[in-house]
Amino acid sequence: MATTTADRHVDRHAGWDGRDSFGRLVLAEWTKLRSVPRWAMAMLAAVVLTVLVSVLTASGSGYGAGGPGPPIGPDGGGVTDEFYFVHQPLTGDGGVTAKVLSQTGVEGESHEWAKAGVIIKESTEPGSQYAAMMITPGHGVRLQSNFTTDRAGSEAATTPRWLRLTRSGTSVTGYESADGANWTQVGTVELPSLPRRVEVGLFVASPFAIKVERQFGSGTVGASPTSSTARFSDVVVTAAQPGQPAPWSDQAIGGSDRVPESLLGSATQAGGVFTVTGSGDIAPNPQDVDGVRQSLTGVSIGVMVIIAVAVLFITSEYRRGMIRTTFAASPRRGRVLAAKAIVVGATSFVVGLVASFASVLLALPILRANGLAPPAFQVPSLSDGPVLRAIAGTAAVLALFAVVGLAAGAILRRSPGAIIVVVVPLLIPQLIAGALPLAAARWLMLATPAAGFSIQQTVEQRYDFVSSICLPEDGCFTTGPWVGFGVLCAYTAVALAAGFWLLRRRDA
Amino acid sequence: MNATIEIQNLRKRYGTTVAVDGLSFTVAPGKVTGFVGPNGAGKSTTMRMILGLDAPDEGSALVGGQAYQRLRCPLRQVGALLDAAAFHPGRRARDHLLWIAQSNGIPRRRVNEVLDLVGLASAARRRAGGFSLGMRQRLGIAGALLGDPPVLMFDEPVNGLDPEGIRWIRGLLRSLAAEGRAVLVSSHLMGELEGSADHLVVIGRGRLIVDTSVRDLLAAASGDRVVLRTSKRSEAMTVLANAGATVAATERGEATVSGLPAERVVALLTEHGVPFSEVAAHRASLEEAYMELTRDAVEFAASTGGEA
Repeated sequence: MATTTADRHVDRHAGWDGRDSFGRLVLAEWTKLRSVPRWAMAMLAAVVLTVLVSVLTASGSGYGAGGPGPPIGPDGGGVTDEFYFVHQPLTGDGGVTAKVLSQTGVEGESHEWAKAGVIIKESTEPGSQYAAMMITPGHGVRLQSNFTTDRAGSEAATTPRWLRLTRSGTSVTGYESADGANWTQVGTVELPSLPRRVEVGLFVASPFAIKVERQFGSGTVGASPTSSTARFSDVVVTAAQPGQPAPWSDQAIGGSDRVPESLLGSATQAGGVFTVTGSGDIAPNPQDVDGVRQSLTGVSIGVMVIIAVAVLFITSEYRRGMIRTTFAASPRRGRVLAAKAIVVGATSFVVGLVASFASVLLALPILRANGLAPPAFQVPSLSDGPVLRAIAGTAAVLALFAVVGLAAGAILRRSPGAIIVVVVPLLIPQLIAGALPLAAARWLMLATPAAGFSIQQTVEQRYDFVSSICLPEDGCFTTGPWVGFGVLCAYTAVALAAGFWLLRRRDA
Repeated sequence: MNATIEIQNLRKRYGTTVAVDGLSFTVAPGKVTGFVGPNGAGKSTTMRMILGLDAPDEGSALVGGQAYQRLRCPLRQVGALLDAAAFHPGRRARDHLLWIAQSNGIPRRRVNEVLDLVGLASAARRRAGGFSLGMRQRLGIAGALLGDPPVLMFDEPVNGLDPEGIRWIRGLLRSLAAEGRAVLVSSHLMGELEGSADHLVVIGRGRLIVDTSVRDLLAAASGDRVVLRTSKRSEAMTVLANAGATVAATERGEATVSGLPAERVVALLTEHGVPFSEVAAHRASLEEAYMELTRDAVEFAASTGGEA
């Protein structure tokens, strides 16, 4: 009997695939996912809702069109270039030395990044090239150049402090000294297209004080101008080619409409001591409105739908006992979960790619029409690297959330519980971050799975020598796009590992 | 592959409840083995352990000499219907079978074959959620048959079927066994297995009560009794009792006679001029045999329970 049975099977099963392949499991799971019409509809709805909400949000936005926009620095980015400048021309190689006697704020309050020192600048035009040696109340002695380069000297800038800049060709070297006799070189910077004739002299600046008031559900950001006064003596300009000593002139550079006239600054000289008062900053001015992120707001709705489908992809099997059919068909349960994760992850990635690409494509022009346009704002192009990263990254975040949902479904085996467990940590940080102190809010945003959305950042140039407004509840991550994405990846890995472990260990 | 199921000292406990308690039996090829016991006796638990779905606390369940988890295309060795509702209601019948087929490398055309085989060909494109209970059973059976496996298990396949469906299942079970397959069919009603099972494994409270062929069981349960049908029952009873038989009145116009063979009963009645319409050797139904067995089992459980 056994022999005839075996023979019959050999004959009838000719052509059946006997290989033990993982691919056929993936194929089976794909058949499962595509053959429930409600899930296909939900995936379609995820795309439609995402695009719709993105477009509606963009339509309701306004960015106060007009305005000249910030000056553009040597490397093409927007900059702030406002300070009080006491200067004279210098042709060819040479240098400037000064002794800073004191640096004081108004009513004893100084901005930590108030700047006072010597500067060599291409011209008095805002945004032109420069190198500067300075002291700051909060960050010691610094050598800064062309807005984005910053090098630290002595940590504590006690006054009096001697500062010196020397130019040789396109190189500018900064020195500092406590006594005017023993000099320390802080560094050398290259200013590649520095003209032969430049302006050299003294400068004072004091940035806007940014005050963030945070209350539950709302935050107000206030920026108020500050000013600073510094006294200099022993000011010497040396030139390799001696000529007539030029007279000093002084003026407020940049004098934007943001700074009231009373704070534009002044300079007086008496007995070799210069007293200079100034306001403003010499610093990069990164755009704080991220148009691409703004055009992807609908993703927060789409992700909910995708999580729900991913959870149901496994809990619906538990609910109806079909999981037993699944595990009887493939007893190695880890492979089943892996196949499900690949199928639901890849599907969510494609859905996310369509949804986020369509959102950016449709919402970005609306944002532009509403004022998010040059010259006040730089508008990214769809082919920019960071924009493509934001679009593909959003799709990847949706895929990861789908896998987290699947794993939660495998762990909890019930749809409502699994959906809540995934969705709540996604929503809570957004809701309560505004009520927390900034440090706690940043930590919360970065420690929860929602951190993955940091991949949507396309404006990521933040400088630790500039106080910028970066509120976590607005989706600003100080850590850049990748750290938060890594956090979400870690959550996904942990959830999957827990799912694997429980599936293998539990009775089906 | 060797078409057998071998259960060795299988034990499973859920919390404080012992579901299966040292169960051993073998399902042989070429036969329909009925797996019988009241609800909660441990039949489904045993079947889940055979399929590697629940891990036994002790003992082993081997299919064709191998643990289920070691099978690489398990559905081509063992087909099982555990729960007729185990499908997504939104999925078409064909898609439900298609994913099962794909997971075990079974070609797509086999899906159409089994749909034909269970009589669902015309409903292949319908969503399974709209199926009647009978159609669901057929869909579940189709899933079990997909891999053309030498070993088949059906958990309560008759549930919810109409008489025509029950007849169809019986025929199917018989033909599967006739092809040399090992077929295990569970039921909590012995009567459902009448006419299909060759062999019986009866369990109660997770323990084996009897493991016997149907023929032996029926012979034992029938004993040497004779059923008598007559319009003059009291006269007949007197005659037979005087001849040394034990006579019990059963239904109207019927009596059961023990202690005398049928020929002797006929001779005695004819001799005394008592009319009768039928004298036949008693043939117990499976249901009767089962009731007798489980009654013994209850007594057995009560007596051993005292010792434990």
